[in-house]
This record gives sequence, structure tokens and C-alpha cells, in this order.
Amino acid sequence: MHKQLSDLINRNVTGANAVAFLAADKKNDSSITVEASHIFKVVNFLKNNSENSWNSLHCISGVDYMDHMEVCYMLTNYDPNNNKGVLILKAKLTDRVNPNIDSIVNLFLAANFQEREVYDMFGIKFNNHPDLRRILCPDDWEGWPLRKDYVAQKYYQGIEVYPDNKMNMEDREYIVRQEMIKKAQAAKAQ
Amino acid sequence: MQTRWDIGEPEKPTINQDTEQLKSELLVLNMGPQHPATHGVLRIEIWTDSEIVAHAIPHVGYLHRCMEKHAENIDFRGIIPFVDRLDYLAAMNMEWTYAAALEKMLGTEVPRRAELLRILTCELQRIASHLMAFGTYALDLGAFTPFLYAFDYREKILRLFEEVSGARLLYNYIWIGGLWNDWTNEQLERVSAFCDDMEEEAKKYHELVSMNKIFIERTANVGVMNIDDCLTYGASGPVLRGAGMKWDLRKNEPYSLYSEFDFDIPVGEAEHGVVGDCWNRYMVRMKEVVQSIRIIRQVIEKLEPGPIMGKVPKVLKLPEGEIYVRHECPRGELAFHLVTKQDEKMPYRLKVKSPCFTHVSMLPHVAPGQMIADFVATVGSIDIVLGEVDR
Repeated sequence: MHKQLSDLINRNVTGANAVAFLAADKKNDSSITVEASHIFKVVNFLKNNSENSWNSLHCISGVDYMDHMEVCYMLTNYDPNNNKGVLILKAKLTDRVNPNIDSIVNLFLAANFQEREVYDMFGIKFNNHPDLRRILCPDDWEGWPLRKDYVAQKYYQGIEVYPDNKMNMEDREYIVRQEMIKKAQAAKAQ
Repeated sequence: MQTRWDIGEPEKPTINQDTEQLKSELLVLNMGPQHPATHGVLRIEIWTDSEIVAHAIPHVGYLHRCMEKHAENIDFRGIIPFVDRLDYLAAMNMEWTYAAALEKMLGTEVPRRAELLRILTCELQRIASHLMAFGTYALDLGAFTPFLYAFDYREKILRLFEEVSGARLLYNYIWIGGLWNDWTNEQLERVSAFCDDMEEEAKKYHELVSMNKIFIERTANVGVMNIDDCLTYGASGPVLRGAGMKWDLRKNEPYSLYSEFDFDIPVGEAEHGVVGDCWNRYMVRMKEVVQSIRIIRQVIEKLEPGPIMGKVPKVLKLPEGEIYVRHECPRGELAFHLVTKQDEKMPYRLKVKSPCFTHVSMLPHVAPGQMIADFVATVGSIDIVLGEVDR
């Protein structure tokens, strides 16, 4: 299914450069990766074509792979007679300093909150979004929490974020234990 | 397409034209964060013109517990208690979805008895959750008695769960590969006795609330979310079915053993009001209770003794890859997007797609032009749990 669909996208959206990743077995999900700059056109095509259309957006998820970030659009087709499951559509963003991608709110209103969440967690800016604010974190929070290189700010409005005396001792012991295990393994390897 | 949350120049509602000279400006009213009708800590900024809502802007995040960030630092089994706390009124369904995602990645075969018992517990949980929705919804509309009726029967389910799992609300009962504990025959007999009682009780609820003239006046034709709205906003569960779409993952994408079971998908039929309004959404839930009872009875017939835990390695190490698993939970479709790295004991990324989050985003769409009291009815009818919205 993903192979035909990526061919269909390539035929109809010039420059989309859709590449299908086909999972080897049922333990993984297949996906389609497209050019980030063409995401609006691709989703527009997927929504409005007559051959293989998807009528709803299930969710937008972001993943930080250190060298690049991915925005995953989960499209689905709510039609009792034609259930096509979930299509994972991905767009890669290589710029970590100022990542931006086109918003698809004008196609699916579900994207409004979902894109705000991705912006909140990864700092990915969605161009043409009507109301791009943080959604789960406070408006004046610093940093992008779900990035892998995130370090929490020290003070938030004069309150210490991780006060030493409030930190869960078991967590701290866990960290110490993990470090000890790592050291032991390194010593063993030598 | 016009966007409804762009509040640059608020458009004044056109109702009550004759009182035009009385209007001066819109009044901003905060509903919440602590408000009985928001079922948790949700703040809705309402711009009102006398009694009429011009705009509603939901502010979520008051219960944000960084679950997705935590999950990246905890091993796969340790996440289950965190998953419980997403939708704390339907914790079993949350656990099952998470366990199903991992089992699919591991390729674990879950024993038949475990799968049947999962269906049993999750359908019981669905009844408990819908009872809560029924009780609190009536409470929102000013009827106190149904709340007590609903809690009486919800309590019976919680007692059963307490015996089986040791906890009343947050169970940590469905484990990866199977279940933590088996049900005894005596407990199963009590479940079937409960089903008989519940079926009678559900009829009583219809007399008490559903067909009550005042209740119908308050909910029918109020807060209409039609099918196009539902599709563009990605609504699911009772909201989508209340709008008339016959869509249920248990039937349309049967996971586990649901394909063996005989049950119907209730949809909004507009006996009162129009399809997609508060009354129809409420009615879908009440009809689902009856269908859940049907499923539970079939489970008890099918149950045979057997193991309840599949073969799962002691230290979970998943193959590299990603998976997106969705299940039908009481409030809609819950999904996990799980990304793993080779030989890591923790997920690389765990994204929760929560149904209530999308339903909250529909509020600005339905609010304009409603009375404040009707808006309370609308918020209640989508049955939000803030633990799941904020994660």
C-alpha cells in the first residue's frame, strides 16, 4: 500500500520526493517520508484526491533524532466501509536552530492543538498557524522539553526548578547506581 | 477556511438585537481552573455578551506531569503505572493499549484466557467510566440523585477490581504479555450477577434521566458537533458516534479477540434533538453500557482455564523501529506512537494521542452563540478527563 501511495504522491505533487519505508514484519509500521517544504501540498493532495483519500488527521507527533527532527502526521480515514488504518507521513527537519514547517491547519482543524503541542515540546515553528502559543507548558517557559539535549531552566519566576532538598532520593540513588554500573562495565571492557 | 479562534476583533453575537443599546463590551469570564463543571483543572476563557458566549478559549496544561518526558527515562515495564494516570477513570484501557503496543513490537503471543480477561476487565472499566460520565453529567445539569445511583454501581465494579488487582483506581494490572492476576470462578459469577443487575439499572436511568423532560430540554439541540466538524477535528469515540458515524475500532479494525464477539455499535439516532448534539452523545454512552454487558456475558461463556501470562523476556529489549497502535477507549481512540532504539531498555519516544485533547479543541468551535448554561452542558457532554488531556 505504501509503495503505491508514495508513487501516487510523486506523480501528482512535483518535488514531494516521497520515499516509502516498508517494514520487514508486523513488528514495525511502514511510513512515507516527504520533503518538509512540500508537506502542505502533500497533505492537501492526500485529503482531496479521488483515488486514495484520507479524511481525518489522527495526531501529529514529533521525534528528535539528534541529527535531525521528524514531524509525523498520522492520517486516517473514518469510513466504516473503507478502513485504511493509519498512514504515518513524515517530514524531516535538519535545522535545529530555527526549524520550521508549513502548518496544515487550513486542511485539518485538528492540527491546531496538535501543532501547538509539537511547537511546545520541540520548538518547531509552524508557518501560517493562526495561534502558535505554548499549550502544555507555561507561556514563559524556556527551552523545548522533549528535545534530547534539553536542560531544564534553573529558576522559573524566582522558584528553583529542581531544589536539592525536594529531589526524590530514590531517583537520585537510581542515577548514582546507573553511573556505577556504567563505570563497572567500562572497567570490565578495559 | 475561516479560523474560529482568531480573536483579533471579536464578532458580536447577533442574538437579542433589541437589546443592542444595552451592550457595551464583551465580558471576559474564567471558567475554572477549579470549577465543578470542568471535571478537573481546565480553564476556559469565555468572552460573554450578557448570557451568551461569544468566544471560548480553552487553556490546558494545569495537570501537565511531563509523562512523555518521564517515559523516556523509565524502562518499559515501569511506564505502566504512569500510563494508568493518563485517564484515571479508565486506567485498564490505557494499560491495555500500552501493553498491546509493546506486545506487537516484541511479537509476544498472549494466551487466550488473558486476552478474554482483558476484554472482560476493559469492558467493565468502560461501564464504570460511562457511569461516571452519566453521574457527573447529570450533576453538571443540576440533578444530584443520578450521581448517587451511578456511584453505587460504579463502586461494585471497583470492588471487583480491588479484589483482582489490589487497587481501586490505578491498577497496574494488565502487564506486558498477560495479566498480573487471574480471576476466580466466584468472582466471575459475581460479574455475571452484576451484569444482570446493571441491565435492569440501565433501564431505570433512562426513566430517571434520559427521557426526563427537563434533561431533554437542557441537552437536545445543544452543542451540535456534526459529522464534518468531527472529521476535520479528528474526533472519535462517543462524540463521533453521536454525530451518526458508525465507527468503532472494535468492529472496524478488530484488535485482540473482538472479531469473535457479537455486539452492535450504537450511534446517535436523534430520538430527541438532532444528530451530534449533547443528548445523542449522552445516549450513545448509555447504549454502549448495554453492549458492554453483552460482550462480558459472551466472555464468561468462552472462558476456559489456562495460563494468563505469555512468554516475555525478563529484560525487555525491543528491536529498532516505531509503531502506532490505537484502541477504542471509553472516551475515544487512544493511541501510542512508540519509537525504540536497538538494545535500549527505555523508549526513545512515547507519544500519547489522547481523545480528550482533540475534543477540547472542538470547544471554541461550538461555543459561539450558546448560553453559558448550555456551554456547561456541552463541556460535560464530551466527558473530558484532564489527566489525559494534559498528560
